[in-house]
Amino acid sequence: MAPSRLTAQAAGVNGKTALRFLLRAFGAAILVLVIWRVTTVGLAEGYPASFWISQALNGLVLGGVYALVALGYTLVYGILFMINFAHGEVMMIGGIAGFFALQFSQSRGWLEGPWPVVVVALLLIMLFGMAASVLIGITLERLAYRPLRQAPRLVPLISAIGASLFLQYSVLLIFGVSPHSYRKPALISGGMRMGDVFIPYTGAIIFITSILLMLALYFIIQRTKLGRAMRAVAEDRATASLMGVDVNAVIVITFMLGSALAGAAGVMLGFHNTVVKFNSGFVPGLKAFTAAVLGGIGNIPGAMFGALILGLIEAIGPSALGIPTEYKDVIAFTLLVLILIFRPTGLFGEVLSEKKA
Amino acid sequence: MPKKLRIAALFAVTLLLLSACVAAPPAAETPSEEASMEEAPADMSGKVVIASGGTIRIGGSFALTGPIPDPGLNIRHGAEIAIDDLNGAGGLEGFMFELVAEDGACDGTQGTNVGNKFAADETIVAVTGGTCSGETFGLVPILQEARIPFVSPSATNPDITSPDCDVCNRVALSDALQGATDADFVMSDLGFTKVAVVHDNSDYGKGLAEIFQSNVTDMGGEVSSFEGVQVGDTDFRAMLARVGADGPQAVFFGGYSTEAGLIAQQMTETPGLEETAFMSVDGAYTQQYLEAAGDAAEGTYVSFVAGADSEEMNADFDAKYVEKYGVSPDDLGPFHSQSYDSVKLIAAAIMAVATVDDSGNLVIDREELISAIRSVDAFEGLTGTIKCDSIGECGAGGVQIFQVAEGAFDQVSGFGME
Repeated sequence: MAPSRLTAQAAGVNGKTALRFLLRAFGAAILVLVIWRVTTVGLAEGYPASFWISQALNGLVLGGVYALVALGYTLVYGILFMINFAHGEVMMIGGIAGFFALQFSQSRGWLEGPWPVVVVALLLIMLFGMAASVLIGITLERLAYRPLRQAPRLVPLISAIGASLFLQYSVLLIFGVSPHSYRKPALISGGMRMGDVFIPYTGAIIFITSILLMLALYFIIQRTKLGRAMRAVAEDRATASLMGVDVNAVIVITFMLGSALAGAAGVMLGFHNTVVKFNSGFVPGLKAFTAAVLGGIGNIPGAMFGALILGLIEAIGPSALGIPTEYKDVIAFTLLVLILIFRPTGLFGEVLSEKKA
Repeated sequence: MPKKLRIAALFAVTLLLLSACVAAPPAAETPSEEASMEEAPADMSGKVVIASGGTIRIGGSFALTGPIPDPGLNIRHGAEIAIDDLNGAGGLEGFMFELVAEDGACDGTQGTNVGNKFAADETIVAVTGGTCSGETFGLVPILQEARIPFVSPSATNPDITSPDCDVCNRVALSDALQGATDADFVMSDLGFTKVAVVHDNSDYGKGLAEIFQSNVTDMGGEVSSFEGVQVGDTDFRAMLARVGADGPQAVFFGGYSTEAGLIAQQMTETPGLEETAFMSVDGAYTQQYLEAAGDAAEGTYVSFVAGADSEEMNADFDAKYVEKYGVSPDDLGPFHSQSYDSVKLIAAAIMAVATVDDSGNLVIDREELISAIRSVDAFEGLTGTIKCDSIGECGAGGVQIFQVAEGAFDQVSGFGME
């Protein structure tokens, strides 16, 4: 009896080492393949430096958007240990609300005025989009997640997917299936040229605004009393509540912060890519989730850097590997799979919480 | 353990439901179809029997959601007006026509779903649609097996019709013609020799892009890049940067309105493509394209597979359209006339084969209807005089090329111009 159990155990251990070895070999093979493609195909194409710089800038803009959305995933995960799969839709609703605010501003002629008026109008449009997202975010929390807070972890996940579909198809029914086109005001149309590199103003605005918003978030979390409460709830919800932290309020505020960032991303993406429709939050939502996992879900700097890395890889990857650009999503999601296999805690590990169930 | 079990059970139930939805209708359809082949003529399978007071039901697969919802709705409107006209003229022996509209979503999977729905419904006599080529490819095998003939108003991929499919017909012109005309225009009229080709990976867009590409190559031109995007993408900057690095004189896009508009717009922000000509195809011959492209639409080219319009008939149609829907037919999309003709063509074929039996039922033999559509000759439609050939190509007219000037399409070449 005993010897047979021992051998079984040994076989199990051997199996595990073998599996680990196989995985390592698999990873190494992919790495070799990537390096081989980059050196023999990607660089052999002989693109000029300005091309790579343009692509990197495209990637940073994309990364900025992903980062704002990824923070929402990571914040909620850090506190509730759930993936809010409706977060992409929260972003989309920001974009839709921004579209209507933009139409209103245009009908009032605010966007043809002197530049300070235009800037204020644009800020108001963004605030309106953020407000709409916040409203949806806290409604989601109240109706779809709070009643399930004590349920097994799979249940809120299913609720989130349901909420995501509900939001998409509500927008489809209310605002129609056709895309809404943002008309950029003259102030932010076009861009600046530096040699052979072109930077659209909207791209620059996205990158700078997302960095500012991320810094603001980091400040809130690390330096304010509210942030301390959030970190406490993330650390241990029950203990935090015993220490006098209003857990429900903290969770609501977390959803508000995440949704506000997503709303800002939705409006800015609307201005950058100029169309928004009912399903335009879905793919960016998945990408942002990938970014959050890449950086280590639950970890705030991780989400920021994960998103920027993902954006860069998506923009540069296809050209560097010498494959068609339509495979950018393949690259992104392959990366997600690889990260989940080799480093489930992400590049930056999980710092925010130690109480991962 | 119980939790895992529950999840597994949930998963299994979902799978079962899904497979039931997808697989059941054709499975149910096959036996009755086989039976019809063997049984005596007295058997009523293989025939649609409509009791007195019933309606002649024509299925419609329209792209009401998906990438081109406005043109999809426009096509549905065209079909509805055709039904109104048919019924206004008294229907057929007192039997009225009815349109059973479904959302094909411009997508192959959804086309399959719609096809299954029609195949499972024994009262469906014929189908108008689908709107998009991919959607129609979803319909083809199911309708072929169910012996339901269809006429598509707007699916232009050359492979929609083939000698192997006797239920497949269309009044739109094949992209084989459009791709060749576009290539000839870009190379001969515009004098370009180096073009980039982009497509949206849809059956329609990619098919047309490949035809264009092979025509350009055959004419001695150079295709500097052949890139794909996805329907629904909104950021094409990385792809365009690569296209721009090769310095083409023109970019050709095979695909739908929104993507075409955004590519035209983002080209103006791409080094190497700021001044490059842009050309797209009938999927982008819409207001949605102009809206999505904004100012960047000016000077771009779009081709369309136009009918040989008869003016009085169209004026009459336009008036009915405006009265019923409150917008001009051209506001939503270009294929309303084809859609109207598609339904009228189906109705003409039904009228040719339908008989009233002793008990006052209307009887339509499915096989007879299938061949009746193919033998339509000199049918006067909105898009011209329609004649169907042996593989189901019923399109009339030719390819037109437009250039956008001051926010409107202005014909510069092709069919109907001297």
